[in-house]
Amino acid sequence: MSEKLSSKALSKKITDEYMDEAFRAHELGKLVGYTTAISPVELFVAHDIVPIYPENHAVANLTAKKGAEICSITENLGYTSHLCAYARTDLGYRESGKTITKGIPEPDIFLACNAQCFTLTKWFQVLARRGDLPVFVFDTPEYVMDKTARQEIVKYCVLQLKEVIAWLEQITKKKFNYDRLQEVLYYSAKSSILYKKFLDMAQYKPSPISIFDALIGMAIAVYRRGTPECVEYYQTLCDEIEEKVAKGIGVVQNEKYRLYWENLPVWFKFSDHAKLLASYGAVILTSLYVHAWSLDFDLTKDPLETLAQNYVDRFSNSTIEDRAAMAMDLFKRYDMNGMIMFMNRSCKAVSFAVPTLKDILVKKTGIPALVFESDMGDQRFYSETQIRTRIEAYFETLDQLHRKTA
Amino acid sequence: MWENLSLKEVTECAKDPYPSIRRWKEQTKKAVIGSTIADVPEEVIYAFGFLPVALLGTSKPLKKAPSLLPDNACSLARSNLELALSYEGDLFDGFVLPQVCDTTQHLSDIWRINFPGRYVECFLAPRQVDRPSAKYWVKEETERMINSLHTRFGKTVSDDDLRKSFALHNENKELLKDIYEVKRKYPASITNKEFFSLIKLSMQVDKAEFNETLKKVKDGLVKTEVEGYIDVILAGITCDPPEIFDLLDEIKLNVVADTLVTGSRYLQGTIGNGMSPIDALTERHFKRGFYSPIHDNVYKGFNELKALCDKYKPRAVVYIHIEFCESEEYDLPDLKSMMRKEGIPMHVLSTEFQTLSLSHVRTRLQAFFESLTGGSL
Repeated sequence: MSEKLSSKALSKKITDEYMDEAFRAHELGKLVGYTTAISPVELFVAHDIVPIYPENHAVANLTAKKGAEICSITENLGYTSHLCAYARTDLGYRESGKTITKGIPEPDIFLACNAQCFTLTKWFQVLARRGDLPVFVFDTPEYVMDKTARQEIVKYCVLQLKEVIAWLEQITKKKFNYDRLQEVLYYSAKSSILYKKFLDMAQYKPSPISIFDALIGMAIAVYRRGTPECVEYYQTLCDEIEEKVAKGIGVVQNEKYRLYWENLPVWFKFSDHAKLLASYGAVILTSLYVHAWSLDFDLTKDPLETLAQNYVDRFSNSTIEDRAAMAMDLFKRYDMNGMIMFMNRSCKAVSFAVPTLKDILVKKTGIPALVFESDMGDQRFYSETQIRTRIEAYFETLDQLHRKTA
Repeated sequence: MWENLSLKEVTECAKDPYPSIRRWKEQTKKAVIGSTIADVPEEVIYAFGFLPVALLGTSKPLKKAPSLLPDNACSLARSNLELALSYEGDLFDGFVLPQVCDTTQHLSDIWRINFPGRYVECFLAPRQVDRPSAKYWVKEETERMINSLHTRFGKTVSDDDLRKSFALHNENKELLKDIYEVKRKYPASITNKEFFSLIKLSMQVDKAEFNETLKKVKDGLVKTEVEGYIDVILAGITCDPPEIFDLLDEIKLNVVADTLVTGSRYLQGTIGNGMSPIDALTERHFKRGFYSPIHDNVYKGFNELKALCDKYKPRAVVYIHIEFCESEEYDLPDLKSMMRKEGIPMHVLSTEFQTLSLSHVRTRLQAFFESLTGGSL
């Protein structure tokens, strides 16, 4: 009997196999479909199209601090420096071939879901022009608060999912298999429950995971959704974290501050931020961003309806009030006592809401917020001393409050 | 109030229409509904007996918007938010805000939160336009908007009300098109600034009155051949501040065609007959250029510009880029390259509401056209 792999080893194995399949897709008679991190990828999986996320590839390069170098190449092509760093990294990679990975396979088709942002739509259009390739825009109107309007939005999205299927059938000349979709949704539903369970372990005191663990653990939920190996991975991960919980192992010793993070991470400051915060006894537990893949498929419903419902109601496509309610739920469940609000120049879609969201959360929780502006991937927009000073000042403020209430 | 304006008064009023809208509101006791420019069907608002007013930013200083939107947010978005929060918010009985891109989506939330208790509705325009579902969606949203106005203001609107409103709006666009046609042939008959002020004001005041002004302007145009003008096409979303038109006029550039939302894209919005009003509005949605290039592959923008160039044979295209409009920024490198391949000179002017240095724009425009004409401007 083979030895059970650790979650880390399993993640590597799944990723390697996935990339191997992606690079051999044409050999295997499959197409490569580029898609957005938040998109109904279950349709691709069910139709044997290998999903590729240029965002993930960009993240690998940005985390390796290659942002400024590769983004500059894109800017030399005439693109402005304030476009999304993922897009700039991807376009720079295509121009120069520069990457710290083996790169990603070239696309055959594009599925852009704007529940995440519109940037991806435009970015994919740029890529599609290079090879005159088909792009499908899955349009998800903002999930406004009016219940009747929500029903109509879901109907509109179901109609579009039918159009996606017809589009796939036309391109591949292959009939779509709804039974296979049901099977894929079963795996998505199961892995999403486990993924959420993993994230929710941040509720324990001390917390056995930080947002940095969540960000690393999120990758498989993004690109292997709808597969049995995705389920296996999250089961293994949950088992490992449960063991830590049983032993009382926390991310930081003497955990004092349990923080909420708003926005995407600053990828190139990943470990620096974790270490700096740990020195204050602080751990960032969660964000709405990592919860974006906590999907909740209702397998008793029409598969297209539950798909539409899930992809339209992501935090990035919700009203600011709904977003605040989602964050408040996390504050309560995770018993958080601090918040860092990152104004990310690269991600306007998320950042536009930040000032208003901050005001609402500060008012509702009574907890002060640390706000800083930078970029998720381009080091040229990161001011080390300024941000470090802000973090230090923030913990002094929290300490004072702590002493007053003690 | 707006039925007998001279061209001089039109340009003055277009620069700051709000004092006159206030007076109109006092006199008529009618509601005023604001909307950021895009694809909201203003005819519906008008049919309810309200005044639809397109919000087109302010030249006054930014005070509140910077704390609500990052500094790399679209400058029109920041300017409009400032206009509503600091200067003219009290004038409006409500807002119907379109959602066409990331910026407008978040703006409508921010607007609603900052105007508690005020009527703030959004119009969720489809961000894909090539498939049958888009039509379904436009119809749904138009009906939702009608129901929402009805619920909030307790008024109903009949098919007849809608048709009357369509007729008035169609007349407005036809009059503007007629004036544009004269301007193309006889550039000395009306300046760029005067003409585009007519369009801007059409988007902001009562058309029943303003169409009377348009008729008089049209009849009063002097069709005299004058030498020395260079024909150009303007591309983009808006051209602001309006003083840019002064610069165009100063170096005798005659705008013979454009793709501006505050220009020809507005004029494309006539509504057909022979079907139900909602169906007619839905059909219209797909027959006009959209607010944001978010929908369009750059080929569409390129083909549109190329067709205009083929038709009007301009000396150059001037692309007015609003600072921080991402959609434009993803398209511009390829658009520039396509235009270059066609041998069509294109000059990109980056503009910003509030902070634009006009002397800088003047110098760039002059240099560009001097280079085109071999220094003989």
